[in-house]
Amino acid sequence: MFKRCVCFTWFALVALGGPAKAEETFDPLTLVTQSIDQTRGLSSYAEINMLIKRPSWQRESTLYAWTRGREDALIRFVAPARDAGNALLKQGDKMWTFNPKLNKSIRLPGGMMSQSWAGSDFSYDDMSRSDKWIKYYRLEHVDTEVSDGLKTYTIDAIPFDDAPVVWGKERLRIREDSVLIEALYYDQDMQPLRRMVTTEIGELGGRVMATSMRMMDLEKPDSFTEVRYDAMDFDVALEDRLFTLFSLQSRNR
Amino acid sequence: MPLKLILQLSARNLFRYPRRNGLLLLAIAFALAGATFTNALMRGWQYDMLDRAVENLVGHVKVQTEEYRDDPNMLHSFALPQGYQPEISGVAIAGWAPRINVPAVLLSERESRGVQLVGIDPQREDISFYADLNIVGENLSGTADGRIVLGQELARQLQTSVGRKVVVLAQGADGKNRERGFRVAGLFDAQAESLEKAVAFTGLATAQAYLGGSPQAGSEGLVTEISVLLADEPQRLEAVDSLGSEFPDKLVADWRTLQPQAAEMFALADMGIYIIFLFMMGGLAFGLVNTLIAAVMERVRELGMLRAIGMPRRVVLMQVVVESMLIMIVGIVLGLAAGILSVAALADGIDLSAFAEGIDAFGMSALLIPVLSTKDLVMFSSLSLLLGLVASIFPALRAVRITPLMAMNR
Repeated sequence: MFKRCVCFTWFALVALGGPAKAEETFDPLTLVTQSIDQTRGLSSYAEINMLIKRPSWQRESTLYAWTRGREDALIRFVAPARDAGNALLKQGDKMWTFNPKLNKSIRLPGGMMSQSWAGSDFSYDDMSRSDKWIKYYRLEHVDTEVSDGLKTYTIDAIPFDDAPVVWGKERLRIREDSVLIEALYYDQDMQPLRRMVTTEIGELGGRVMATSMRMMDLEKPDSFTEVRYDAMDFDVALEDRLFTLFSLQSRNR
Repeated sequence: MPLKLILQLSARNLFRYPRRNGLLLLAIAFALAGATFTNALMRGWQYDMLDRAVENLVGHVKVQTEEYRDDPNMLHSFALPQGYQPEISGVAIAGWAPRINVPAVLLSERESRGVQLVGIDPQREDISFYADLNIVGENLSGTADGRIVLGQELARQLQTSVGRKVVVLAQGADGKNRERGFRVAGLFDAQAESLEKAVAFTGLATAQAYLGGSPQAGSEGLVTEISVLLADEPQRLEAVDSLGSEFPDKLVADWRTLQPQAAEMFALADMGIYIIFLFMMGGLAFGLVNTLIAAVMERVRELGMLRAIGMPRRVVLMQVVVESMLIMIVGIVLGLAAGILSVAALADGIDLSAFAEGIDAFGMSALLIPVLSTKDLVMFSSLSLLLGLVASIFPALRAVRITPLMAMNR
C-alpha cells in the first residue's frame, strides 16, 4: 500500500516533464509549477513496476494508478498474487488503504503519513503532497548546468518557518523541459537524508518524462525503491465513481 | 485509696524488675518509632501523589465540556469570555489557567510520536508542574509564542533538539487535520520520564490560531479546559458548586472525580497506615500481656498479703492497670521521640531515583519526603494507651482472683 502512494507522487512529477520551455529570465517557481502540473494532466492512467531492494531480499510488484486533478488518486496492486488487490485511495487530503485479505478499508490517520508505504522507501506524504513545493517552500535558484544540450537548474526549496515540513531543505534538479532529475532531502543539520533520482527519461503518453526513478535512504546504502512506468496515458476519461471507497474495495479493477 | 499511693505502688513494682521492664519498654518504644516512621513515609508518598495528581495539569477543580471527557479534541472546546476571571465567594483561589489540551502527533525528520499538545499561558502555569520544570534552552515567552517546549526524552526519541523544527499534526476545531511547523524553544526535564514523553507545550494564542476555527468566525478565546487551584483543597466541593452554576452547560469536576485512580490510591494509603499500625502494636500487645501476667504471678504472696491486710480488689486491679499504663506512656514518649528524630534526619527526602522507572508507575516522584502529621501521632498515642488498657485487663483479673489462702499455700 505504501508503495502505491509514493508512486503516485512520482507519477505526477514525471508527467510534468514534457512541454515546458525554459524562459530567458528564469523563475524557479514557474519551473517547479510546470514540473508539477505536467506530471498530472487533467487525469491519467499508468501501469507501474515497483522494485523494493533490501540487503537480504527484493520484491517486485506491478501496480495500476489513476489520477484526476491534484486531489484524487487510486492505486492498486495487480501482481504478485500475494499483494494483488491491495489498494490506496486519495481524496483531497484524506487517504484510505484497502486490504482484500482483511476485506477492510482503513482511513489513514495523520500520524501515519510520514511512514513507509507498502515497505518501500516512499512515505504516504511523498504520495499525497505533490504541490508542497509551491505552498510551503521558498524556492531559490542555485545553479544552472548544461548537459546533452539541455539546461538543468538546481533549485533549493527552503521551508517556511511554520510550514509543516520536517526537512531542513530540499534540493531539486529540474531540466529545462520540466523533467525532475533529482530531489535531495536534507535534515535540519543540512545533512542529506534521502535522495530521489531519475534513472531513465523517455516518452510515454505523448510526454517526455522520467520513466524510471529511484528513492534511497542515504543512511541505508544497500536499500532502494525503484519505480518504472511501463505505460501511461494522460487526459483519459475517468468515471467519478473510480475515486470512491466503493471502488477502493472492489478487487477486480 | 488515694491515686497517689496506687501510682507509687505501681512505679515501685516496675522498678523492682528493671531489666524485664526495660526490655518491654524498649519493645514498645521500638514499635512506636517504627510506626511513626512508616507513617511519615506513607504520608509523604500520599501527599506527593496528591500534589502530582493536582499539578499534572489537573488542578483542584476543572471546567471542561461534557463531550471533551469522552473525546478530548478541539471539536469539544468552548469559548472563554474575554477578561474572564474565576470568582468563587468564600473560597480563596491560588491560581487558575486556561488551556488547550489535545492529542497530537509530532514528526521530526526521522521519527514520529503521539503526545498531548498543551497550549498554555506560561505566566499562569505556576499552578502546575510546568512552573517547576527545568528547561534547557528557552521557556515560552508568552501566550503568543509560536514555538514548542518538549520533554527531553521525547526530543531524544524524535532525534531533535533546541532550535530545530518539528511538525505537529492535530485535529482542528472543524474536525479536519491540521499541520504546522514549530521550532523547539526548549526541552524540559521532569522527574517522571513518562511525563517527558507525554506532553508538549506551546503558547495558548498560538494553539488557538493553529487549531481554532477560521479567523473570521471569531474563534478567539477557544479553550478546552480551565483549571483552578484553590488555596485550601478541602473547599473543592464548594468551588465545584459555584463554578457549576457559572458554567451550567459544562462539566465541572474536582480532581478526585477527574483522577479516580489517584483518589483511590490516596484512600488506600489512609487505610494502609492503620493496617500497619495495627500489626505492629498487635504483636506488641501479646508481649505486654505475657510480661504483666508473669509480674502478677511472681507477686502472689505479696498480693495475698495486701488483700489480707485489707486492700480492696478494686485497688489491686487498678494497680496492675496503672502499671501497664505507666510503662506504655513512657514507651510512647520514647518511641515518638525516636520516630520524630529519625524523620527529621531524613527531612531532605529519600532519593529513590535508582528505581525511578518502577516507582513512576505508582505515581511517585523519585524523591520521597517523609511527612509527620500531628493528627496521626495523637491517634497513635491514644490507640497505644487503649491497647495498654486492654492488654492489662487479663493480668489484672488474674491478680484480683488471688486470695490470702493462695498466698499462704505457696
